[in-house]
Amino acid sequence: MESPLFLPTLAACRLLLAWVQLPVLDGLQLDHQLTSPLTSYFRLKEGLWLYHHGVDPYLGGVLKHSPLFLSLFSTVSPGRVAWALSDIVGAWALVRIWHSRQQLGQSRRDGLVGAAYLLNPYILLPSLASSTSTFENAVVLLTLMFAAEGRPSPALLALALSIHLSLSTSLLLVPVLMLLVTSPTSRLASPRPFGGSYWMVFKYASEFVVYWSVLVCAASIMAGGVWNWMHESWGASLILPDLTPNPGLWWYFFTEMFDHFRPFFLMVFSTHLAIYIMPVCIKFQHDALYAAFLLLGILGTFKPYLTLADPGLFLSMFAVFPEIYPYLRHAVVTALLHAHASLLLPLFHALWVIEGRGNANFYYAASLVMGVAGGAGIVDACFAGMRIAIGNGSEAERGKWEVVQQ
Amino acid sequence: MRWGTIFFALCLSASSESVTSYTNNVPPGESGERYDEDLFIRPLLDGRVATTFTFTTDLLGNVSRQSESSGQHYTLFPLTLGQILREYSIAELHLTLNSGKWNYDHWGYPDDPSVGTGAELWAWMADGPSSTIDERWTGLRNALAGLFCASLGSLDTRHTSSPSTVFPISFSSSIPHGLRYANLPSENVCTENLTPFVKLLPCKSRAGLATLLNPQRIFDADWHGLSIHLRSTEVGTELKLGVQAVFDPVRLSGGRRRDWSFRLLFDRIIHDSCLVATSSVVRVQIPDSGSHTLSPASVVDDNLTAMYNLMTQAPLDVSMSWPHEHTFQYPHVHESRLTPLSIQRTLHGSSQIHGHLFIALTNNGHHDIVVGYFENLPALVTLWMHTMEIKVDGTERNELISNVSYRPHQVLANGQKSPSTFQAILTVPASSTLHLSMEISRAFLKYTEHPPDAMRGWDLPPAILFPVCEPAMGICGMQNTSAGMRDRMYTPTLLIDLPTPDFSMPYNVIIFSCTLITLIFGSIFNLLTRTWVIVRVED
Repeated sequence: MESPLFLPTLAACRLLLAWVQLPVLDGLQLDHQLTSPLTSYFRLKEGLWLYHHGVDPYLGGVLKHSPLFLSLFSTVSPGRVAWALSDIVGAWALVRIWHSRQQLGQSRRDGLVGAAYLLNPYILLPSLASSTSTFENAVVLLTLMFAAEGRPSPALLALALSIHLSLSTSLLLVPVLMLLVTSPTSRLASPRPFGGSYWMVFKYASEFVVYWSVLVCAASIMAGGVWNWMHESWGASLILPDLTPNPGLWWYFFTEMFDHFRPFFLMVFSTHLAIYIMPVCIKFQHDALYAAFLLLGILGTFKPYLTLADPGLFLSMFAVFPEIYPYLRHAVVTALLHAHASLLLPLFHALWVIEGRGNANFYYAASLVMGVAGGAGIVDACFAGMRIAIGNGSEAERGKWEVVQQ
Repeated sequence: MRWGTIFFALCLSASSESVTSYTNNVPPGESGERYDEDLFIRPLLDGRVATTFTFTTDLLGNVSRQSESSGQHYTLFPLTLGQILREYSIAELHLTLNSGKWNYDHWGYPDDPSVGTGAELWAWMADGPSSTIDERWTGLRNALAGLFCASLGSLDTRHTSSPSTVFPISFSSSIPHGLRYANLPSENVCTENLTPFVKLLPCKSRAGLATLLNPQRIFDADWHGLSIHLRSTEVGTELKLGVQAVFDPVRLSGGRRRDWSFRLLFDRIIHDSCLVATSSVVRVQIPDSGSHTLSPASVVDDNLTAMYNLMTQAPLDVSMSWPHEHTFQYPHVHESRLTPLSIQRTLHGSSQIHGHLFIALTNNGHHDIVVGYFENLPALVTLWMHTMEIKVDGTERNELISNVSYRPHQVLANGQKSPSTFQAILTVPASSTLHLSMEISRAFLKYTEHPPDAMRGWDLPPAILFPVCEPAMGICGMQNTSAGMRDRMYTPTLLIDLPTPDFSMPYNVIIFSCTLITLIFGSIFNLLTRTWVIVRVED
C-alpha cells in the first residue's frame, strides 16, 4: 500500500472492471439500494429515447436527471468506462484533498486514501450499477479539492454543477465558501475564530450565483427553453413524488403518511436537512473542510432518495482525517451497524418485492438500522472533532481526569 | 267507494287527455321514428352458440342540435338518453359492459366489435365554447353511471385518453369534435345493468325479441355483454342497443349434445311480437356441415342464413339439433383459426417491481397484415420504451414497427395521473408470429391509494388492435379485406400485483422514523452546544 505503484495499479484494475461482462451487473442497474429514481441510468436511457422521439422527457415523471446529463448522454454514449474514470477522478481528488490538508506533495498514506474511495463497496457497487451518483460524488470531491487548493473559480463552478445535479448538495455551499477564504490544514486541535474576510466570502458567493445561473439557463436551453425540468428534477427531492424504496428514511415515512399531513412533514424533513448548516459551520469555523465532511455525513443519512453512494462518500472521507481516530468513541459499533444494515437491506428487499414472502416492514427496519449507522458515524465524528482540542495529556496523568460536557 | 270511483275516473280522463295532447303535438313528418329489432344466432365450431340482439331506433332529425326551448318528445327513442345527448352535445357515444374473454380463434369476429372485458366508454363531443369537453365528459360519465347502475363515475382522468385514430368519428362534420375514451377492466356486468337497459326499449321485455333477455340465462353465458351505440347519421340519430352472449349448450346438456333452442338457451320463447317495431327478425346462420335439422323450417338464403319474421310467425321457438350425432366431439384446438390474427398478451417476471410485457401476434394467413396497436395503461405501470424489442422467429426486426407514438402519463391539475398511451403500426409477416416485448415497472403507491383488497392486484385494460387507414386509399381497411383485419380486436385483460406497504402501521412508522431523527438531531446538538469541562477523578 505504500508502494508508489499501488494507486495506478488500483486505478488500472478499476478500468479493467469496466470491460468485464458479468450477468450480475445488469441486475444491479435496477437495484433500489444502489440507484434511486434521481440517479438511475435506466431512467436516463428512457429519457433519451423520449427525447429522440420528440416527446418531452420530463412529461411522465420518468426522468429526474438534469438536462445536462441528457445532452451529455445524447451526444456521447460513454459506456461503463465513464463510471470507472469518474471513480478514478474521485479517488484522485480525495488524494489531492489529503495533500492540501497535510501541505505535502507525496505521502505514504496516499495509497490508503485512494483505496478508501476505490475499494469502498458503497462507492464501487453504485458505480457498477451505472448510477449517476458516481458523477455527483466525483464533482463534490472536485469542489472540495479546488476549494482546499485555493482555486476559487473552478471550485465555485464545480459547486454550482454539483448543486445543479443534486439539490441536496446545497448544504455544502457555506463550508465551501469558508474553505475558500481559510486554510484547509487541520485546525481541529487548535480552534480559533473564523479568520477569513467576509468581503471575500460575499464576492465568492456572487461568483457562485453567476455560475449557477449560467448552468440553469444552459440546462433550460437544452431542455428546449422550458422550465418544467426544475419541477421534475429539483422538485423531486422536495416533494417526493416517487415512493420507490431506498435505504433512506423518507420513502416509507411518506408512503405511510396521512394525506393531509404530507405537505407539513415534507417541509419538516427539508428544513431538518438545512438546520444543521449553521451550527456545524459555527462550531467548526476553524476547520471548514471538517464542517463540509460532517454535512456530507448528514446528507448520507437524511437525504431524500438516499443510495449507498451517499454514506459511502462520508465513510471514504474519514481517510482524510486520521488525527481524529484516537478520539472516536464507538468506531467498531458504527462499522458493525453498517455491516448489519448492508447485509439486511438487500436481503429484506428481495424478500419483500422479489420473493414476495416478506413484508415492507422488514425492509423498513433495515433502513432504520442504516439510519442508526449513519447517525452513529456523524455523532462520533462530531464528538471526535471537538474532543481533539482538549487532547489526551501525558501518560502519567491518564486516569486522573476526564473530559465531559455540561 | 264512491270517492274512489271518482278519483279513478279523474285519473283516467287526465291520462287520456295527456295521450291525445302528446300525439297532437308531434306531427308525423317532423320527427319520424323507426324501431327495428334483430336477433342473429350463430352456432360456433366448439359447440357454443353466439347470440346477438340488436335493437335499433332511428330518430329522424337531430336531437343534439335542437334548441333548448323546444321540448323533447319521443315516441320510441328513450327520453333519458335523449336528454343526456342534448345536455352534453354528444355526436357519437359507445358504451359497452362486457364480461368474459372473447375467443377470436374459435368464435371468429364478434358481430359487435366492442368486446373488451369490463366497461368501455368513448364519445365524440362537439367542441363548443359553452363548457369544455372535459367538463361535459365528467357529466356524461356520471349521467350514464346513474342510468345504467355501473361504476362509470370512476372512469375519471386516471383512465381517460383521446386516441382519435383508433376510434374514428363515423360521420363527417364541419364542427370540430373531440374524443374521450376510457376503460375500466374491473367493472362487472350484471342484472342491475340489464334492468335499466331493458327499460330503454319501447316494448320493454314484455313483447318482441327482448322477451328472451332472461337475466338468469344471459349472465350464466360464457361470454356476455351489453352495448349502447349512438351515432349521428345523415338523416338523424341512430341508437343501437345490443346484447351479445355466447352460450354453451354442451355444458347445459351435461357435456353431450350441442342442440339448442330458445327454450334451452333462454328458458323462454317469444309469444308476441312488439307491435311498434317496423321489423322484427330472427336470423340463424346455418353451419357448413349439413347433418342438422332446423325447426321451424325456413328458407335459407345465399348467405347460409335462415330468416324468421316475428311479425308473422309469433309465437316462435327456434331450435337446431344434430339428430345423428350421439355425443358432440370438440374440434381439434389448432385445426382452424377463424380470424387472420391470433393475439396473446402476457406479463412475465416474478418480481413485484419489474417485469416484461409480451405481445405475440400470429398471422394465420398468407398475406402480410398491417395492423395498429394501442395500449392505454394507467399510471400504475410504466412502460420502458427504450427496451422495446420486436422479434420474428427469434431475430430482431425493428423495421416492422412504424408510426410509434407514445405519451407518458402526466400529473394533471387535480393531482391524478393520466394514463400513458402507446400506439404503433405493426406489420405481421405472413404465416409467422411477431413478438413485441417491453420492460415495465410497477409503481409504489401511498398506502391510501391502494384499494381495500390490495393483495388482489389491479386489472390492466385490454390492448386494442385496429385496422389501419391507408390515407392513399381513402377508405379504411378496404384493401385486401379477406386477409386484413375487419374490425377492432381486443386482447384479454391482465392482472398485475403491486408491491404493498404495511397497512396497519402508519402511526408506528411515524413514531419510529421521528424517534430516530430526533435521537440523532438531539445528540448532535448536545455535542455542539454544551461546554467541555475537565473533571478531576478522585481516587
